[in-house]
Amino acid sequence: MKRLPIIYAKDLSGRDYWRSLGEREGSPEFRASLAREFPEGASELPEELKQEVEATGPDGGKVDVTRRGFLGVMGAAAALASFAGCRRPEEKIIPYARPPEEIIPGKPLYYATAMPFYGTTIGLLVESHEGRPTKIEGNPAHPDSRGATTPYIQATVLDMYDPDRSATPLQKNAGRSWDEAIVALRELGKTLAANGGKSLAIISDYHRSPTLELALTDLKKAMPSAQIVRYEPFGASNGRAGTKIAFGKPMDAVHELGKAKVIVSLDADLFHAETSPIKASRGWAEGREIPEGEGKKPDLNRLYVAESAYSITGASADHRLRVPSGQVSQIAAALADVSKEASSAGVAGVAGSLPEKAKKWVAAVLKDLVTRAPGTTLVVAGQKQPPAVHALVALINQALGNIGQTVRYVPAFNEGPEGASAMVELGKSIASKAVDTVIVLAGNPAFDAPADANMATGLAGVTTLHLGSHVDETGALAAWHIPKAHILEGWNDLVAEDGTYSVVQPLIAPLYGGKTEAELVRVLLNQPAKGHDLVRATAAMVLGEADFEKKWRRLLHSGAMELAEAKVEAPTLAIADVLASAKSIAAPQGFEIVFYPDFHAWDGRFANNGWLQELPDSMTKLTWTNVAWLSPNTAKELGVADGDMVNVTVNGATAKLPAAIVPGQAEKSVAVMCGSGRRTTGRVGTKVGFDTYPLRKAGGFDFASGTVAKAGEVYAVARTQEHFATEGRPFVREGTVAEFIKNPEFVKEMVEEGPPLESLWSPIEYTGHRWGLTINLNTCTGCMTCMIACQAENNIPVVGEDGVRRSRSMHWIRVDRYFEGTAEEPRAIVQPLPCQQCENAPCESVCPVGATTHSPEGLNDMAYNRCIGTRYCANNCPFKVRRFNFFNYNTDVPEQRKMQFNPDVTVRFRGVMEKCTFCVQRINKAKIAAKKEGSDRVKDGVIVTACQQACPTGAITFGDLADEKSAVAKSQKHPVAYKLLEELNIHPRVSYLAKIKNPNPELGES
Amino acid sequence: MSVVVRDETAIELQKDEIGRAPLILGDKQTFSTVTDTVAGMTEKKPPKAWPLLLGLAFSVLMILGASLTRLVGWGTGTWGLNHPVGWAWDITGFVFWIGIGHAGTLISAILFLFRQKWRTSINRAAEAMTIFAVMAAGVYPAFHVGRVWLLYWVFPVPNQMQVWPNFKSPLLWDVFAVSTYMTVSILFWYVGLVPDLATLRDRATTKTKQMVLGIFALGWRGSHRHWLNYEKAYLILAGLSTPLVLSVHTIVSFDFAVSVIPGWHTTIFPPYFVAGAVFSGFAMVMTLMIIVRKVYNLQHIVTIRHLENMNKIMLATGSMVGYAYAMEFFIAWYSGNPYEKFTFINRAFGPYSWAYWTMVSCNVISPQFFWFKKIRTSIPIMFVLTIFINIGMWFERFVIIVTSLHRDFVPSSWGYFRPTIIDISTFVGTFGLFFFMFLLFIRFLPAIAIGEVKGVMPAADPHAHDDHGPEGDGHDAHGSDDKHDKHDDGDAEAAHG
Repeated sequence: MKRLPIIYAKDLSGRDYWRSLGEREGSPEFRASLAREFPEGASELPEELKQEVEATGPDGGKVDVTRRGFLGVMGAAAALASFAGCRRPEEKIIPYARPPEEIIPGKPLYYATAMPFYGTTIGLLVESHEGRPTKIEGNPAHPDSRGATTPYIQATVLDMYDPDRSATPLQKNAGRSWDEAIVALRELGKTLAANGGKSLAIISDYHRSPTLELALTDLKKAMPSAQIVRYEPFGASNGRAGTKIAFGKPMDAVHELGKAKVIVSLDADLFHAETSPIKASRGWAEGREIPEGEGKKPDLNRLYVAESAYSITGASADHRLRVPSGQVSQIAAALADVSKEASSAGVAGVAGSLPEKAKKWVAAVLKDLVTRAPGTTLVVAGQKQPPAVHALVALINQALGNIGQTVRYVPAFNEGPEGASAMVELGKSIASKAVDTVIVLAGNPAFDAPADANMATGLAGVTTLHLGSHVDETGALAAWHIPKAHILEGWNDLVAEDGTYSVVQPLIAPLYGGKTEAELVRVLLNQPAKGHDLVRATAAMVLGEADFEKKWRRLLHSGAMELAEAKVEAPTLAIADVLASAKSIAAPQGFEIVFYPDFHAWDGRFANNGWLQELPDSMTKLTWTNVAWLSPNTAKELGVADGDMVNVTVNGATAKLPAAIVPGQAEKSVAVMCGSGRRTTGRVGTKVGFDTYPLRKAGGFDFASGTVAKAGEVYAVARTQEHFATEGRPFVREGTVAEFIKNPEFVKEMVEEGPPLESLWSPIEYTGHRWGLTINLNTCTGCMTCMIACQAENNIPVVGEDGVRRSRSMHWIRVDRYFEGTAEEPRAIVQPLPCQQCENAPCESVCPVGATTHSPEGLNDMAYNRCIGTRYCANNCPFKVRRFNFFNYNTDVPEQRKMQFNPDVTVRFRGVMEKCTFCVQRINKAKIAAKKEGSDRVKDGVIVTACQQACPTGAITFGDLADEKSAVAKSQKHPVAYKLLEELNIHPRVSYLAKIKNPNPELGES
Repeated sequence: MSVVVRDETAIELQKDEIGRAPLILGDKQTFSTVTDTVAGMTEKKPPKAWPLLLGLAFSVLMILGASLTRLVGWGTGTWGLNHPVGWAWDITGFVFWIGIGHAGTLISAILFLFRQKWRTSINRAAEAMTIFAVMAAGVYPAFHVGRVWLLYWVFPVPNQMQVWPNFKSPLLWDVFAVSTYMTVSILFWYVGLVPDLATLRDRATTKTKQMVLGIFALGWRGSHRHWLNYEKAYLILAGLSTPLVLSVHTIVSFDFAVSVIPGWHTTIFPPYFVAGAVFSGFAMVMTLMIIVRKVYNLQHIVTIRHLENMNKIMLATGSMVGYAYAMEFFIAWYSGNPYEKFTFINRAFGPYSWAYWTMVSCNVISPQFFWFKKIRTSIPIMFVLTIFINIGMWFERFVIIVTSLHRDFVPSSWGYFRPTIIDISTFVGTFGLFFFMFLLFIRFLPAIAIGEVKGVMPAADPHAHDDHGPEGDGHDAHGSDDKHDKHDDGDAEAAHG
């Protein structure tokens, strides 16, 4: 823009005064200078630079780089750059002057999607703020999750923003552009197709994606000799092998715990690790309702668990039998007595060597099973148990009339070589050079494959193509590493065991351009590889072309669609084969080593996830490492103390890891956690835990006999809880059904009534809402999902292993674990403990600056900005639920990580106290919405706290105590409701419902 | 100049009618010698140990600076605090130092009101110690907060947000109690210093010294009217300070007593804390004075009788503290409160039992030796015992704070506190602050109240050879006109000499 020259008025005197010689001469330079703001050269780039700018400018066109022009371009660039930060699936950048439909800045949107995990499908509903997914919830419309989640699902969102994810394709660990990679992949595809895939092997996981299955089918067509191996370190392949014996073809069992009155778990950790934990816990919890009111007798289900390591399922059981995992098959054989055929074949004979205690237990369980109506019981075999046990369990369930009622056997999603033995076979093929190209679509075989498959050396010797989110052990030795799209980034589809079809729809464009498995396969096949189109095409096949657009949109909207043809009739049981396989059952010998997925890293995939690493293990409360669980007696025999390093030796392979002494662990059985100790991973997971996969071989993949010896070193384990005895204090209260029937108020009588209490301060009068929370200990399994949900919702930092050692973990809600009884045969109980929002809060009166005050609705509010950090409130909190920022835990937060933060919650600075506020941001959002609708009250059930939302068993109820009809007000009046430390006159707003067990009278209370 | 009296017979001769040794020993002591002795401490070259000790104290003070820099730069987590234990060495150090300060106020104010003349030899140093101890104590509440830069929010500063501190909070009461205490202590100390500063001014040899001391002496000329006003002001300040001796530590104890935590929530705390404070304060005064009187040859002014009297007070307060320990246990049992009962059993036999028994041995057992006159008058033994008492009183606060917090109501949140190197260096550093200030005080200000000491000398007593006179109070040198003449004499002498 040029400046207009200043016009001088003509001198009226008629004389023509000139200001300079230049003006007098009227030279062109002078005329030009009049229009210029600055002298020549001052506002422009030097000539040579200008040329450079012009050459590289848009369209190579002329850029008039003036000061103003430069600022204009820079301003636009800055504005565009800020738009680039809002990553959306759209490919064009549209200015917010014409915003995308439905986007209102500051208002989150929710998208339905799904996630494959546990070998099943979890329906999700993901919260998205301005294009950034921030929080994962369960999809209430999906029959599996019904709105609930598990810790791993909650933590997945953090994985997506992991700054250590691989950003570009790598060829032999050297960065390549996507174009280069795609060209190379297409070339590779051509080469492979040319020889029919003769030397090609593909490693996949137990996926349930029709789109991927179609792609692999097409690949098989193009490369018929290619072999596809499916492998996960912890999966249901034993179950499929067992059902193959029983029914002639591999099948998956779908359990309906909600319909069962007696549930027998044979070494199955139903609520944490196996099949569908959300559905299983919910089903179990449905049968644990304690009715209110006169004369109503509770009709609870009864859970029996036989297991070696104390799982949360065992802790929830009415009767837990502590046996080595190797002995569970004998128990299955003994229970097979319910079947006439098995009984006459003498299958139970092998159970003769059971110890007395187990015999008594089995007898009681048998009696309980056969006296119930057919189809109202359920026996479940654990994934660790050998195929023969799964086959026997199918027989038992059939004899009890359960098939089709409490358990359905559905065809496996796909067939083919799978599991540890298939990996060992593949390892042999690699070693014999029969395979020279391996495509790893999922998993990390160089780390987690069976030790005898020698994958780490094998994959290094062949052309390995690795699709993965991180450069992990496999990626590091791969010829090509291709970044994988996170489930929140790429298109996919999934079908659950019950036939529910879901679409995995992306919430954000891939942060690093990652590809999905199906996309990669299509690239290799030289076919169009746009995830969206691939999934849409599959959906068109699944849903039918008729009215497709409408169905597609409905599917994307609700996230789940039940498929008509998914219903299958009960298969026929090959009893003779089952009985033949049962002959292999034998009594265990010596010391057994049982392998479990690490609570934090799972099979290793979550090793770089800080939330999960710091989430205390349900039973041991350990964080940041994997351990070997030893029973107190076994530890004593070995001379091992808690935290001592032990050498675990199986078949000549040795792994060193810390020992944890766990009450309730079976004797002569050591539970070894696998998945930690990653060699190649991001900054969080490095040097965390100990690699135990070398112990796992295809023979003895789930449990093997081995030895344990003290290594002589001590590891400082980081626990969030050090003391597991209640000291006789009535914090967790429990009783039995019989006690409840005798006196429904028995829980309240567990505390002596003291003198009437008076407060120093006048009580607050509440006129509006009175928020309250009820936690039902009867259905809480201690799965820890609430802790992670709270962490994700409230931007709670991670303090690291050393921070936990110094007991500075920051969780606002914690799940306390208590044991009672003997160390060998303890009973465990859990108690989630958020802030109790005391009405007479001891923390409030002691703050010198009034940073924590009482809200008119009874919340114990925390004004972070006002807090100076005296920590007096935390000292005076009887529940010790206040958390102090000892350091600035949010310093140096990578940009990617920042995108996960919930914008509705402040990120706290160091020196500030923080605490649970019953998700006040959610309360306020609902209040604003209610106000806009002209109501001064929020309806019951509209506000859901993060912990409540995530809970698989619905053990948490939140609402308005002032509304007598609200669920929470009703639950707090339940006869078994009680509050903590009422004798301190603090009036907590949180009530607990006591745990009511339903023991079998024949076994007594155990 | 000073005369060390070791002659037992001379002491015997000077004893008063009920057999008490004279307050100032040595038959050759005059007003002039006292002035020379005390003023000489500031005028002559200091003993060789002084610069060394000052250097040492300064180094330790620098440790405090480094520790606090680290603390503020990185966060409260540089200390070993954790989730059940939100206060540990910080508030322990705070209560420890505040407690030490109490001796000064007690000696200055309460003993003054009770006409305990023997206080005069030690009150100045004790008052100075009070101020320095409160300074050292102040380090903790100031720096233990998470956001030091916002500390001013604890003061009722008018602001546009109309946000005020929370007047329900014992910590806020602390702010007022401690700042009042500091203010009154400084005033009291300074008012007492004025006549002595004038003495120094009159003896000063350089212009600078004369100017500086002249300004702080407030134009004191020792006139009758000056003395009259001075005595009144001193009496009023003593009256003001007296309730503070009780109130400050009472309010400090409220930090704990007002809470709900078993082990803290107890009504015995106010008297127990005050007794403990006097106990610990006297122990610290003793530790310091035993060294100072030796280094500066003040044995004739700070006599065995002074030390013995102080030992008796320690015996009394130490026994009170021991009684309080026993009473806490009794109440824990008698109350029938299971949490309370557990806390005390845990104190004695739990993970911190080592701290508890250290406390009991130092605080309950060691003062009991003072029942014996031999021990009460043996300087080496009493020195060792005062050190034990100093240690024990630190442990008392540590035991109260940490053992109550580390295992309170909910067993799942029980923990253990371990100090970090910064915890330790901060505490050590506060000693640097304290001794640095104390050494400067010894060097540049009259460490003994010259005017007051003269007042208790036989020469100041107009009825020195009378038996009990009829007026009682009139006997006291203080407040009598005669005394002021003597003072004037003394000053005149000093000025001339």
